[in-house]
Parts: sequence; structure tokens; C-alpha cells
Amino acid sequence: MDIIIQGIKEGFLLVWSMDPKIIQITLVSLQVSLSALFIAACLGIPIGAALALKDMPGRRLFLNITYTFMGLPPVLAGLIVYLVLTTRGPLGQFQLLFTPAAMICAQILLAFPIICGLTARTVMAQRQEVYDTAVTLGASRRQAAWAIIRESRMGIIAALTTALGRLVAEVGAVMLVGGNIEGSTRVLTTSIVLETRMGEDSRAIGIGIILLVISFSIILIINLLEKRSFKNDTGIQVT
Amino acid sequence: MTPVFKLHKIIKRYGQREVLHIDELTIPRQKICAILGPNGSGKTTLMRIMALLTRNDTGKVDVLGEDIHWGKEQLLKLRRQMTMVTQTSFMFEGSVYDNVAFGLKVRGKKQREIRPAVEKSLQLLGMSAFIAADARNLSGGERQKVAIARALAVEPRVLFLDEPTANIDPQSAVEIEHHVQFINRELGTTIILVTHNLFQARRLADEVFFMWDGKMVEQGSAKEIFEQPQDERTRSFLSGETVF
Ligand SMILES: Nc1ncnc2c1ncn2[C@@H]1O[C@H](COP(=O)(O)OP(=O)(O)OP(=O)(O)O)[C@@H](O)[C@H]1O
Ligand SMILES: [Mg+2]
Repeated sequence: MDIIIQGIKEGFLLVWSMDPKIIQITLVSLQVSLSALFIAACLGIPIGAALALKDMPGRRLFLNITYTFMGLPPVLAGLIVYLVLTTRGPLGQFQLLFTPAAMICAQILLAFPIICGLTARTVMAQRQEVYDTAVTLGASRRQAAWAIIRESRMGIIAALTTALGRLVAEVGAVMLVGGNIEGSTRVLTTSIVLETRMGEDSRAIGIGIILLVISFSIILIINLLEKRSFKNDTGIQVT
Repeated sequence: MTPVFKLHKIIKRYGQREVLHIDELTIPRQKICAILGPNGSGKTTLMRIMALLTRNDTGKVDVLGEDIHWGKEQLLKLRRQMTMVTQTSFMFEGSVYDNVAFGLKVRGKKQREIRPAVEKSLQLLGMSAFIAADARNLSGGERQKVAIARALAVEPRVLFLDEPTANIDPQSAVEIEHHVQFINRELGTTIILVTHNLFQARRLADEVFFMWDGKMVEQGSAKEIFEQPQDERTRSFLSGETVF
């Protein structure tokens, strides 16, 4: 028990001291996950919305594959990207393996199905009325589709939060394709693994605290965003 | 003058069931037309076909003199001249202002034109005080009034009203009737009104159409229909009896 309390104390001190190495690791973590989230969102939101709104061939199949990949184990995502980027792989000549770019690729693979699948679901859950109302007020098809997407924004924000939470917290993919190289591809989660292995429990706890603070901040920011767009929304009142 | 709508041998089915079967129907310009009939007789379905929201299975629809081929450009052009207040009005997320401004925004109107138009519409319906309110928190009647204001803001040539005053108190209902009459007389807007309020139909309508089980069983001037209905079903519906 003492060890744990001691660890937590030292962990807090470590965070407080703003150790430059830890700051650097935190920045890499954020940079990788936010880049992956951004790219996955740029692809996933429009594709998910299009899948929900357009009756195109192969739509059901694509959606089912997307839903399946929402639960893709991070290590597997890492493995796929590893196989593609390894020297003998199809994109081997670019020598991306063990760089932040490779980590971003693997995380896109994790985030895309979540964003795309949840966007499709939340858009499909909108009712016909939304489209009808927009169209009777003179909206073109594109404008009506946009109105439906706007009505779905709560669900899309939830999809983004879910994806980001998963990215920041995962170890498997970034470890496999990043290689946990100090000063370059080491991120918060892989550092925890390493520090624990080296017996540096308090450093591991300190980094863990940072990870928690980041996750908590994400939730906080999302809540603020939601409040801004749903000023007077009281939600469902259960009495 | 070409009629606003001309329907020829229109059939609409849902599954096996034929919910609408209209042989010929002509809606004249600049009139107030009331469609009456029991629940499920196909009034909303008919309106949705005329408003180009639902596609008929067979037959030919003419809107404002154009033969409908359901092409994208034609649909948009014609839909922008009509608008509908539906039986259950849907409010977009956002303020009352956002909702009433919607139709003007999609038409690419400038902000400085939108604001006064929204204010004017809301004022007509006595809803000015609610301009900044969250549209989702309105009461049923307030919501209905905002829906009417939203429809009037775009100054349509054809206005569909599907039971517009069903949730509205008598005083406000009379005011809304006056506005409907006003835009019909002053702006020449063609009004197509579905109502279960027979007094309202009698007060407002120039032409009355009576539907039964997907078919148009009688039509004529309000005076004819209310004073000398020809069809047995119309007669009993208007007198509140049932024919079984
Ligand atoms: N999308 C749909 N799918 C299946 N059946 C439908 C659909 N829309 C309408 N119907 C059926 O078509 C019939 C006509 O419906 P419609 O809404 O036109 O009736 P209405 O005359 O407007 O009735 P009310 O006075 O209750 O509003 C009804 O029996 C209804 O159940
Ligand atoms: Mg109806």
C-alpha cells in the first residue's frame, strides 16, 4: 500500500515539475491522436452521412463491415499497417515504419470505422420529417442533407469523443508500428509500459495521471461544445 | 389561367393497399380550397403528391402548368414556389429565429433581408416575443404558429395547410384564418387547406373537395357542398352521422 501512495505522491511531483521529457511525450501523444482523429473525421463524417442518405449499391455490406471494424483490436490495426509499411511490404520504400506517420496511419484505421459507423447510425436515426420540412421550405437535396446532418450533430460529436478516447488510450498499435523510440515515437501509453517494466513505478503513475487528465479534458471540452450548441436543451427529464 | 394543379389518373399504393385513387382533379389558381374527409381517407397523401414530396405510382401530375418528370432541377424550381405546414410540425434544432429564417437562407437571401422578413412573419402570428426562444421548448400551439410563420416568410405562391389550427386556441385560430384570407386576397396565394373543422372550411373555402377511402367523391363550391351535398357519404359526414 505504501508503495502505491508513495508512487502517487512522486507521480504528482513529476507532473508538477514539468519534466521536459514528459512534456515531449505528451505532445507526441496529442499530435499523433489528434492528427489521426482529424483525418479520420474528414473521411468518416461525409462517408458515414452519404451511406445513411444515399441508396447506393453495396451500402449494407459496407456498413456491416464498418460496424465490425468498430471493435478492431488496436494490435491488429497495428499489424495491418506494419505489414503494409515494412521494408518488404507494398509501401516499404517510403520507410515510414517506426515514425509518427505510421502511428497516425494505424490510428486512422482505428478511428475511421467508429466515426463513419456512428455517423451513419445517428443520421439514419433522423426522421423523414426533417427532410420533408427542409424540402417544403425550399431546400435543395444537398441543403436538406445538410439540415439532417446538422440535426445529427450531437451524435457526431459523441462519435468523435468515443474515437479520440480510444486513440489516446490505446497501446497496441502505436507500440507495434511506432516502436516506442525515445524522442520520436514514444507516447504516454507506451511510456507507462516501459517505465513499469524498468521498475520506475512512480514515473509510470505520473504519466498515468497525465493520461487521465487528458481524457478528462476531452470530455470537458466536448461538454462545453455541446452546451454551446444546445444552450437551452434540458434533455429528457425522468421524474 | 392554367390551374395550379392538374391530376390525371393518380394511384398511390402502400404495399398492396391503394390509399389514393384520383381520376381527375383540377385545383384553380388563387382560391382557397378545402379538402375534407374522415381519418385515413388520403388527404395528406394527396397533398404530399401535389407538393411533390411523395411520388405517385401511376398517372400524371401537372404543377403550375408543368408536366412533372421528377427531375432534380424541376423539383427544386417548383418546390420553391410552394410550402406546407404539416400536421405535426417539425422544428429544427435552434431558435425560433433560425427556424423561420430557414426557407430564406436556403434561397440565398442576405442577412439584412432575412431579419426583417422573419420579424414580420413572427409579428403576424403574434410570436415576436419568442424570436430568441429554443424552438424545441415551445408549446404545441406556439410551435404550430411558428410553423405557419416559417411558411409565410418565404411568400409562396401555393400554401398547403394540413390542419393548421388543430392545436390552436379559438382566438388565435380566428386570427390565423384572417391571415390566410389576407394572403389569399392580397398576394393571390393559392391555399389548400385540410381541416376537420367544418365551420372553418365553411368560413374560408371557395372550393370544397370531399374525400372518402382514397377517392374524391364530391367537389364544388362551399355553398353547394355545405347546402346541397349530392353524395350520401358527404351528407352524413357533414351532419356528423356515419354510414355503415
Ligand atoms: N408511409 C406510409 N406507409 C403506409 N401507409 C401509409 C403511409 N402513409 C399513409 N398511409 C396510409 O394511407 C392512408 C391515407 O393516409 P393519409 O395520411 O393520407 O390520411 P388522412 O386523410 O390525411 O388522414 P387524417 O385525417 O387522419 O390525417 C392511411 O390509411 C394511412 O395508414
Ligand atoms: Mg392527414
